[in-house]
Amino acid sequence: MKASRSFSEWTPWLFLAPYLLIFGTFVAWPLTRSLVLAFEQTYGPKTTAFVGLLNFQFVLHDPLFWTAVRNTVLFTLAAAVTQIPAALGLALLLNRPDIRGRRLFRLIFFTPSIVGLAFVAIIFTLLLEKRTGFVNSSLHSLFPVWDPDFPWLESYVMPSLIAAALWLSAGFYMVYFLAALQNVPAELIDAAHIDGAGPWQRFRHVTLPEIRPVLNIITLLVVTGSLQLFELPYLFYNDTAGNGPENHALTIVTYLYQTGFRTGDLGYASAIGWVLTLVLVGFALLQRRMTQRGES
Amino acid sequence: MLRSFSPGVWLVLLLALGSTLLIAFLPIAPRPGMDLWVFDRNHAETANLIAADWNRAHPEIPVQVSLLAGGAIQARMLSAFYSDTPVGDMIEVERSMIGQIFAGPIEDVGFTDLTGRLNCGGLRDKINAPSFSPWTRQGHVFGLPHDVHPVMLLYRSDLVEAAGIDVSQIETWDDYFRLMRPLQVDLDGDGRPDRYLLASSPTNLFNHELLLMQAGGGFFDANARPTLNAPLNARVIARLATWYAGPGRVTNEATAGTASALRLILDGYVVGILCPDWMAGTLRTSLPELAGKFKFMPLPAWEKGGRRTSVLGGTMLGITKASPHQEAAWAFAQQLYLSPTTAARLFEHALIVTPIKANWSAAIYDRPDPYFSKQPVGRMFLNLAPDVPVRTSSPFYTQAQGAFNLAVIQLCHYTDAHHISDPALLVPEAQRLLDGAQAELLRLIHRNIFLRPASP
Repeated sequence: MKASRSFSEWTPWLFLAPYLLIFGTFVAWPLTRSLVLAFEQTYGPKTTAFVGLLNFQFVLHDPLFWTAVRNTVLFTLAAAVTQIPAALGLALLLNRPDIRGRRLFRLIFFTPSIVGLAFVAIIFTLLLEKRTGFVNSSLHSLFPVWDPDFPWLESYVMPSLIAAALWLSAGFYMVYFLAALQNVPAELIDAAHIDGAGPWQRFRHVTLPEIRPVLNIITLLVVTGSLQLFELPYLFYNDTAGNGPENHALTIVTYLYQTGFRTGDLGYASAIGWVLTLVLVGFALLQRRMTQRGES
Repeated sequence: MLRSFSPGVWLVLLLALGSTLLIAFLPIAPRPGMDLWVFDRNHAETANLIAADWNRAHPEIPVQVSLLAGGAIQARMLSAFYSDTPVGDMIEVERSMIGQIFAGPIEDVGFTDLTGRLNCGGLRDKINAPSFSPWTRQGHVFGLPHDVHPVMLLYRSDLVEAAGIDVSQIETWDDYFRLMRPLQVDLDGDGRPDRYLLASSPTNLFNHELLLMQAGGGFFDANARPTLNAPLNARVIARLATWYAGPGRVTNEATAGTASALRLILDGYVVGILCPDWMAGTLRTSLPELAGKFKFMPLPAWEKGGRRTSVLGGTMLGITKASPHQEAAWAFAQQLYLSPTTAARLFEHALIVTPIKANWSAAIYDRPDPYFSKQPVGRMFLNLAPDVPVRTSSPFYTQAQGAFNLAVIQLCHYTDAHHISDPALLVPEAQRLLDGAQAELLRLIHRNIFLRPASP
């Protein structure tokens, strides 16, 4: 009996040990270290000083940080407004049994997420180039008044990034929505139909409540992913380390990267990282609360 | 408890324990000799040739050359300097990385100070003096320069000569734009130019910097203090803004580096390109169709009698302080960088001219290059090498570049909005924008308590 009790006490820890070891080494320890760093300033590899809340005070008064916040929030809102409806729209369309070649279309729309972010960034910069880019050259061919040197990448930084992100992500989230739509009971739809509900009412009062859990997850993924935007602007505007013209592509994570890994100011970069973490946690909590309220 | 475990649990535990012990106690023999990290394939091939000779002569301390991505070198090198992780004995460092290496007190720089070794025996005098500047901090040199990277103006000689333009009359930028002006034409009748006189744009920060340095300006002074708002800088960007924007615009973007830019160059979209030696090598490889259609001339000066070149890019070879083979690494570094073989290969493969003055007399540099209309391109670059501007490195280089670039873009908006083509009218606005850029940069620098000016 005694042996059995000790078995039940120790066995879970034994099996958890490898995970805890890896988590402690590669997550918990770096997180703790970065929290300590956020209260320090560094000068080169060896010189460090404790500065209390100075880094956090500077974050709050740093115009570049606020530029990064503004750009990131703008991108996040635009991503949520474009990617979720586009993904849901595609899913609704490709869920209809009367659409021929549905499987092919699903593959086509999903392909950008297979291709990957780096390729999407390269493809979009090529598409949007002045004169040689497909967009400008096509528009100039169709409408000779169109300026073939139209500066998409220079003057329309955020729309270019939003378009690239939409192309990359819509097909990916479409798959989630398709799975959710296929789980909506057909009898519910039929019953609503018999009761005289039109297509919009069926969608609003039957389909949407049924897919709400997936919608919530996708909203969370889109928002947290967008708040951590880094690779796309970095690849689009590599020559300016991701800033883009007039800092229009500067995001919070890009600013963190530049501060930490270009300037070597690891303390300030850690402070930026923790501010971003607080924003992400805050959003996740808010979203959870809204979800719970919606469910109740 | 132990008797309660099934055989499967025992197996998993044994595998975990066995693999842990294996990794912990597996003898890993340290590699003998020295590691050299390089980021460029051409550099690696040359280094391997020299290393083969070295390894025959010094079998007790051989050199292994590792070709790594630039980003990987940067990450691993900085990790080593910050955390004492393993690092190569010698590392080739690209210009954009050096500012961060120089952050902190001079005694904390992770590379060995080579000043004494260079001064001993007059080695320093054998190397092109300005080529040391990016690798120098407070008079201490931390690397052997790999190159000079002088800049000339590459122009489409087929277009220029067909138009009957005599380039010998060009001495200044004003001369260049005035004489070349007939070439900026609308070819398809849509009312817009289909050819511009110079490949550049308000967002091309590399061109801004090289033109600024050519004029004698810069982002930092010799002591790495920011000088963004120097009056000379304001005058330069006022002139740049009239090239990039407003009714007198003469530039558009087509600087070699992307496929679309190469397409534009091929199509004759631009007449002139600001071209360092390495870019000439890239163009020769990428656009064989344009053989015989390019020629070089020294950069037109900002004022009569002014500097006819500038500089873009650069690499050094440093010896890490962590290396236990300081003397051997120094001997190999000299063998690699001072060697006539290295200089010849560098020029043949990439058109890069050496900073080692003793190698400048080699016949290879006088050879007419058919691609560049039989001009002796090597000699032309070398003639300008002693005159390349001196550069200062700072960990705040990226921020300075960004703040300066922002000022240029904003000035271009102002130029467009007010339809200005006279640079003199733009100088006050240029000065105002650069004052703002300087204040912003100082604010970023002084954020760090170690970099704040001492209280009186």
